[in-house]
Amino acid sequence: MITSYHRPGTLDEAAILVTAPRTHVIVEGAALASSPSEQATAVVDLQSLGLDGIEMSGESLEIGSMTTLADLAKSPLVPAIISDLANREAPSTIRTVATIGGTVVTNDPESELLAGLLAFDASVTVAQADERLSYSLESVLDDPQLIEGSIITGISLDPRGAATAHRTGRTPMDRPIVMVVGHKDTTDHIHLALTGVDSRVVVLSPGQTDTLTPPSDFRGSTRYRKELASVLTERVLADLSGGGSQ
Amino acid sequence: MTITLTINGTQRSLECEPHESLLTVLRRAGYRSVRFGSNTGETGAAAVLVDGQLVSSDILLAAQADGHTIETIEGLSVPGVLHPIQQAFIETGAIQSGYSTPATILAAKALIETNPSPNEAQVRDALSGILDRETGYVRPVHAVLRAAAVMRGDDPDQVVVVHLENLTDRNGSSRVGADSASPAQTQPMNPQVVLNDDVPVTTVVGQPEAKVDSIKLAKGNPAFTDDVDLTNTLIAKVLYSPHAHANIVSIDDTAARALPGVHAVLHYGNVARVRYASGGQSYPNPLPYDQVSFDNKVRFVGDRVAAVAADTEEIALAALDLLDVTYDVLPAVFDENDAIVDGAPVIHDEPDMDGAADATHNLVHHLKAETGNIEDGIAVADRVFTQTFRVHQVQQTPIEPHIAIAEWDSDERLVITSSTQVPFHVRRMVAPLLGIPVKRIRIIKPRIGGGFGVKQEMLIEDIVGHLTIVTGRSVRLELTREEEFMSSRTRHPQTITYRTGVDTNGKLTAQEMTIVANTGAYGTHGLTVQMVSGLRGLSSYNCPVKKFDCKVAYTNIPVPGAYRGYGAPQALFALEAHMEDIADALDMDAIEFRRLNWTKVGDPLDIAQQLGEGDQDASVMPLVTSCGLEEAVAQGERAIGWDKRNDPSWRAPADRPHIRRGMGFAMAMHGTAIPGLDMGGASLKINDDGSFNLLVGATDLGTGSDTVLAQMAAQVVGVATDDIIVYSSDTDMTPFDTGAYASSTTYISGMAVKRAAEQVRDQIIERAAIALEIGRDGIELHDNAAWAPDGRSVSLETIALSTLHQEGQHQIMANASYVSPESPPPYAAQFVEVEVDIETGQVTVTDLVMAVDCGVPINPLTSVGQVEGGMVQALGYGHCEEMAYDADGRMVNANFGPYKIYRSDEMPRLEAILVQTMEPSGPFGAKAIAEIPKDGVAPAMRNAIADATGVRINDIPFTPERVWQALQNA
Repeated sequence: MITSYHRPGTLDEAAILVTAPRTHVIVEGAALASSPSEQATAVVDLQSLGLDGIEMSGESLEIGSMTTLADLAKSPLVPAIISDLANREAPSTIRTVATIGGTVVTNDPESELLAGLLAFDASVTVAQADERLSYSLESVLDDPQLIEGSIITGISLDPRGAATAHRTGRTPMDRPIVMVVGHKDTTDHIHLALTGVDSRVVVLSPGQTDTLTPPSDFRGSTRYRKELASVLTERVLADLSGGGSQ
Repeated sequence: MTITLTINGTQRSLECEPHESLLTVLRRAGYRSVRFGSNTGETGAAAVLVDGQLVSSDILLAAQADGHTIETIEGLSVPGVLHPIQQAFIETGAIQSGYSTPATILAAKALIETNPSPNEAQVRDALSGILDRETGYVRPVHAVLRAAAVMRGDDPDQVVVVHLENLTDRNGSSRVGADSASPAQTQPMNPQVVLNDDVPVTTVVGQPEAKVDSIKLAKGNPAFTDDVDLTNTLIAKVLYSPHAHANIVSIDDTAARALPGVHAVLHYGNVARVRYASGGQSYPNPLPYDQVSFDNKVRFVGDRVAAVAADTEEIALAALDLLDVTYDVLPAVFDENDAIVDGAPVIHDEPDMDGAADATHNLVHHLKAETGNIEDGIAVADRVFTQTFRVHQVQQTPIEPHIAIAEWDSDERLVITSSTQVPFHVRRMVAPLLGIPVKRIRIIKPRIGGGFGVKQEMLIEDIVGHLTIVTGRSVRLELTREEEFMSSRTRHPQTITYRTGVDTNGKLTAQEMTIVANTGAYGTHGLTVQMVSGLRGLSSYNCPVKKFDCKVAYTNIPVPGAYRGYGAPQALFALEAHMEDIADALDMDAIEFRRLNWTKVGDPLDIAQQLGEGDQDASVMPLVTSCGLEEAVAQGERAIGWDKRNDPSWRAPADRPHIRRGMGFAMAMHGTAIPGLDMGGASLKINDDGSFNLLVGATDLGTGSDTVLAQMAAQVVGVATDDIIVYSSDTDMTPFDTGAYASSTTYISGMAVKRAAEQVRDQIIERAAIALEIGRDGIELHDNAAWAPDGRSVSLETIALSTLHQEGQHQIMANASYVSPESPPPYAAQFVEVEVDIETGQVTVTDLVMAVDCGVPINPLTSVGQVEGGMVQALGYGHCEEMAYDADGRMVNANFGPYKIYRSDEMPRLEAILVQTMEPSGPFGAKAIAEIPKDGVAPAMRNAIADATGVRINDIPFTPERVWQALQNA
């Protein structure tokens, strides 16, 4: 049960608030508003901290953690595939409040946007009470405790290169059973990220799909998901060998 | 805490708790257009504009909105004035139940304000967060495009009925242009009707009139059960079983009762044990009577255990947590075939079990019907084909969940306001459970936010009734989305086997249909749904010998009940797949093979004599009295471009080597009401100004039936539709009606309205004759007046004022009711186009076309809306919807998303065509249209996949892995 609500005016104030017991940051209203626990919980709303915004800094694209998926979807600075994945991540009534920071914290194993960010080898900037740190997104997803008690302030990535995605779902806008996104960076190195094949979005190198042991559910068995990972990865690699979608 | 919001331009300070959602706070503050559909934003019914952006208010804490600007549709709603978006929604027929219309209109407003010239894809994206179970999104998308045009200053074309050229002479002997005409590329906004020369010209009937309730729905005015504003109402919550099968050893409610704010705790220990069947059906309800309000046994995950009434929802939920229930968990069985074998767990072993065929073997019913000797028909066949199919469990999922409010009125009568399709059945059925007579119960049905059959049930009204009786307070119970999935009603799964004999000419010689049906934990509609499966599965085609054998099994899955189509979608999936495969085996064209056998005017509907529910004359063979199937097939072929399937480059596009395209067809034949059983009543009276009050017991679920009934009355008494004020329905105020089910309202209630109106017309003419000083012969009513043959007239207002106030005073009014001895079948041709990814099994449906013979469409605009919305529900049935369970019978996808229904930005092209026929038994020639759109999509999709890949799949839904597996096995 949410028993107190805080809307700090500064990052320092927020960083102190989140260190209190049973205190959570609202990065998108959905999860906390709909899942009240029995214990008294405080929530911290970051909307007044100016953490939204998208800008280029040299060759790095800097995205504020409170940037909504709707803004991400329509920004000309954002790689087209990331915009598309942001649009697919949530429908029109939710993407206006769901944020990129929330996407990272939620760590949904079926998040297409998260897969896209991993394929672009994104990094995460966080603020703690007395310092600012940066981690690779992959390391944060591997070990969420890295940012426990911290506030995600931004996501950064190098938007250059070519990228493409392939997916299989029940319907065109269904959350995919398996989705593969590939990014070929400026050094021609290919980064692949897959959803629906593990307990979180995974990063693979080409040729590693045989190592997967996907979970099984009513939408797809382990065997089927593994087959999809292989087929869709081949399609992504074929696209990227021809230049990709961007 | 106090928050400050600027709502619709007015700054307001509101009190809220930190955990409360913006939805809760806005509704409490009186903004009733913001509607509950879920707690997690998944339906979008609660969407509002926050600083101009569309947001589901159920996922935002109210505190997060502090200091922001909120817009609800109340801000657009000036009395007597409509915003252009509201106007466009009304004109295009975009409103059905209207439950989510405010959210949809706000989505349109947000879009148009940032993009005055949106294209269709942008509109669909803007609406993507608002699930619509009713319209198929076709008309809402057109409405937004139209509104944008108007707001830009354009003058878009009016919505008119487009008359399509007949392509056949309607008996199959000639065909004109079907193969040469080009298919349409866009989704038509205007309703398309193929006229029939036998249909008389009418001025109101047959016109695309705006719905009579459209203004209140477009404005988001309070209209639904949730909008009833009672003070000091207690909140009810229900404890549901966590086990699929268990005896309740004990319930200790001490702690729950002691919790401050708790007013009642009900369970098997303190509620009288009265057996009943929950299906909302006519008296006497079909057996078995296998339920009680609260039992000492639970039979599925989601079954009732106890109910609490408390001051707040939080207290009620806390009280449920304090109930100490001891279960003795029993083995469970979920598959219908496993349930009826020796040794299966016995689900109904209670000593007072009443009416099952063999409860010790979980056999609820064993239905049999036969015309002739099936083996004789098989013996003369040249070929015999046997196939088995499995159809699965899905849910109706209206966006408005079940909700009921009970209260004592000042006369100490129990008033239950409920979102129900069957208010009169509910009154009769709930009375014995509550131990009070029918005369002390009043059921009010406000506007319903969709039903599709799930509200043809006495599902929660007994709970609020019991709690109000115990507490003396008004009590409200609304299901959450998860509760709706787990504890309400669903569609029956079935295992269906067809055995069909065919002679050397392709004519059927024998057809046998064997079903094992799964009615879950309770019988409710288990008998009648399966009877309809047999009726529909053995009526479409002529065959000299037919046999039906159906076992209905209890299992431990959540309870199936009534769902739009009512047994026909299951049967027709199997039948139309079976007929397709027989044609293929015979190397015959699939449509020609069907045409050789399908029923036509004058053909008998012989199995109906044995599978009808009502009181029919067994000596009279029901016959087909109207059939537009031949024309419907030709129109569908033209619309989808049926010849494309013969083009190899279309079937296997060179630029996408893993894609195969195909098209499929299915014919559908449904019923119109239950003959000899369904009854509708109507009352019509004139007002001082020559307008009329029409009181009907029929319940408009959003289908537009109130409008259709008003049009019929208006046609007869010579006024405009908006001169008919419809009230529906209230057991104290309106005539009896069996309710909205079985495709009966237009046909049955419509005939009652027509008869009442004809009596009123005669009374008016009698007074007009006096006023005009002529005889009654030749006087006609039109244009709000009675007209003499010589051109003189007297207005209806003058007649009304005279009869009410001046001379020979009396109320011009009439009551009528109607029961039909017939059930004329509507027919339809369903076409589906698909793309199949042969490497992954993913199927993308690219085009859906349905041409429907519904007799005379009384309102073509609402009729095409029924077809479009029904097709999309049917698409979900065939393609992506399924209730999935873990090994213990717990549903694992009890929310939208995992339970996948189509949203606006992923729809195939949809086209509906209305093929007029003149049904002699129907009001103005009408037959049913509401359910037939559910029947053909799944089999046509299956046949399209077969056309694309050669793979024939006999289970639905066609999910990627199922198709991939079939491709692997091929």
